[in-house]
Amino acid sequence: MSREGWWTRRRSRARARRQEARAAPRTVHQLVPPEGVPIGLNIASLGARFAAQFVDLLLTGLAGVALIIVLAALVDAPWSLVSALGALILFFIRTPYYVATELLWAGRTPGKRMMRLRVISADGRSLATYAIVLRNLMKEAEVFVPGTLLLIVGASDPISGSIMLGWIILVLAIPLFNRERQRLGDIIAQTVVVEEPEALLMPELAATRAARFTFQPHHLDHYGAYELQTLERVLRAAEQAGDTRHRARQDGTLAVIVQKIRARIDFSDPVTDADHQAFLQDFYAAQRQYLEARQLMGEKRADKHHRSAASPTRVEAGDAAER
Amino acid sequence: MSDTEKPSRWARIPPVAKGAAAAAATAADTAGTAAASEAVGLRSARFRAEREGDWRALEALVTKVERGGPRSLNFADARSMATLYRQAATSLSVARAISLDRALLAYLEALVARSYLAVYAPQESIGQALGRFLQSGAPAAMRALWPFMLAGLGTLLLGLLTGWLLFLESEAWYDVVVPRGPGDPRGPEATREELLSVIYSGGGSALEELSAFAAFLFSNNARIAIFAFALGAFACLPTFILVFYQGLFLGAFVALHVDRGVGLDLFGWLSIHGVTELGAIIVAAGAGYAVGYGVLFPGRERRRAAMARMARPAVKAAIIAALMLFAAAILEGFGRQLVQETWIRLAIGWGIGALWLTWWAYGGRRA
Repeated sequence: MSREGWWTRRRSRARARRQEARAAPRTVHQLVPPEGVPIGLNIASLGARFAAQFVDLLLTGLAGVALIIVLAALVDAPWSLVSALGALILFFIRTPYYVATELLWAGRTPGKRMMRLRVISADGRSLATYAIVLRNLMKEAEVFVPGTLLLIVGASDPISGSIMLGWIILVLAIPLFNRERQRLGDIIAQTVVVEEPEALLMPELAATRAARFTFQPHHLDHYGAYELQTLERVLRAAEQAGDTRHRARQDGTLAVIVQKIRARIDFSDPVTDADHQAFLQDFYAAQRQYLEARQLMGEKRADKHHRSAASPTRVEAGDAAER
Repeated sequence: MSDTEKPSRWARIPPVAKGAAAAAATAADTAGTAAASEAVGLRSARFRAEREGDWRALEALVTKVERGGPRSLNFADARSMATLYRQAATSLSVARAISLDRALLAYLEALVARSYLAVYAPQESIGQALGRFLQSGAPAAMRALWPFMLAGLGTLLLGLLTGWLLFLESEAWYDVVVPRGPGDPRGPEATREELLSVIYSGGGSALEELSAFAAFLFSNNARIAIFAFALGAFACLPTFILVFYQGLFLGAFVALHVDRGVGLDLFGWLSIHGVTELGAIIVAAGAGYAVGYGVLFPGRERRRAAMARMARPAVKAAIIAALMLFAAAILEGFGRQLVQETWIRLAIGWGIGALWLTWWAYGGRRA
């Protein structure tokens, strides 16, 4: 490692990162829990995070203002003291509020709960207490304290006011420049804000009834996983199509797809208009069985270009043997 | 692959898990098995039909935890959730290898992710976390960071010395270094009596003046402490500048009072809360230095990892600084106006300082 220059190391690291980014979609955070099965979680959008933050600010702000009003009513003190105490109260409400709620509800403040967001540890381990404290203390230093300062001195002292403004803009821009949308506090505490995953089990498409159409291996040799899963999406949409207009549009789509598939796989048996959905379902089931069997034998077919992509000689030889 | 771990292995699920699975398996499950019997040919459909009941049971348990927290589970439920979670993770791994059903893969991925979040949620209650922090975490962090704390103290002393020397060179420096509010009598032109009147002001309008000033000073110091910690990540430099400037200001301030012969009175006035408050700035600066040290000298780690490692004790120190600031605010608000005797002021201020030190030195140590 020491023999290489820092520049080489940097470049190889950047290359590794690019490859990693290509493998996983940009909006998914991959982590490996202790069980060793990697899972992906959708990274929260900045809009949702701002909305959650707004709710939290509203809650703490209301609580703080209520306390200050009570204080001002009870204590006969000059306004300067009350305002200074107010800033103090807000500081001692805000951070504990975030820390306590994130600790209590496993990484969710009320705002995040409302927006269905959650703070997790970036490395797949349990979210540590100290990480929660750290990211929320940093929030104070990133936005709140400079923000209060800006409000107090912004008008009277333009230089320090613009420094504060520049700092806030810089800090708010940091999430735009990394893939995980982490702000400074997230980076230091190694946390990521993700969307709550929603698990919805759809009915099994391939098993609704006995097959009416039969397909031969040479019919099934044309497509890969990508086309299969696109077909799955279309079929599920067709099953859920509600009113008649929607229905008619879906039927049109199915007709085009049936025509295309029949042309490509050279399927000569007649298919009536009423049978379009049945044909596609049977084709889906047969194609899936075929591709899954292939995959089990170690031959993954990503899409219809699989012939030209991976080791063409072997696939050609296999085709020849089948014929 | 799925053949090798079919019913025989799944039959070894603990009875508890099976009970939960049976309880939560609803009409959807029975429909699934009925459909699967027709599609026997599809290996992945069979795989799904065999395990769907367990997935549904896990989903029900996880939903329960998401709504009511982990305490809403009884012992048997908690145990079966752990088992079912591991099985679902295995299912996901197998499904990725054998199934091309996009909907199934998406469901399993979401289910495993949800259960992961439920199983690996923070387990500590707020009280536990706080107790552990006060008893052992905080003092241990302070002991681990003592060189940085010394550096923070050194920075403040350096600034203090510089401010003092500047004042000795020319009193005009005072107005450059010290920010003065309107109506503040303390300046190069102030007399001994004026300075004393502020130090020993008891009540009436002076109280209001003073409390406003104290509030200003407090919020100022709190700000400096927060920035000294947070900006430490930028290679220690902002921390140094902030704390050095604070020392400069203090140095000129003290020099003015010593010059007018009221040094001891000022010392008492400052000590009662200043020991704790300046201590807070030093601790915050030390924490900032620790984070900055990780950035400057990452060793064999990446800078980000080194910073994260140093941040661990540094955050604890920052919380201590916040606690100290809070204590200082209370001392400042009540103690300084109520206690007018210099010697008592000194005793309270330094006594509390000694208490802080004792906590850090001996807290959480095994005898």
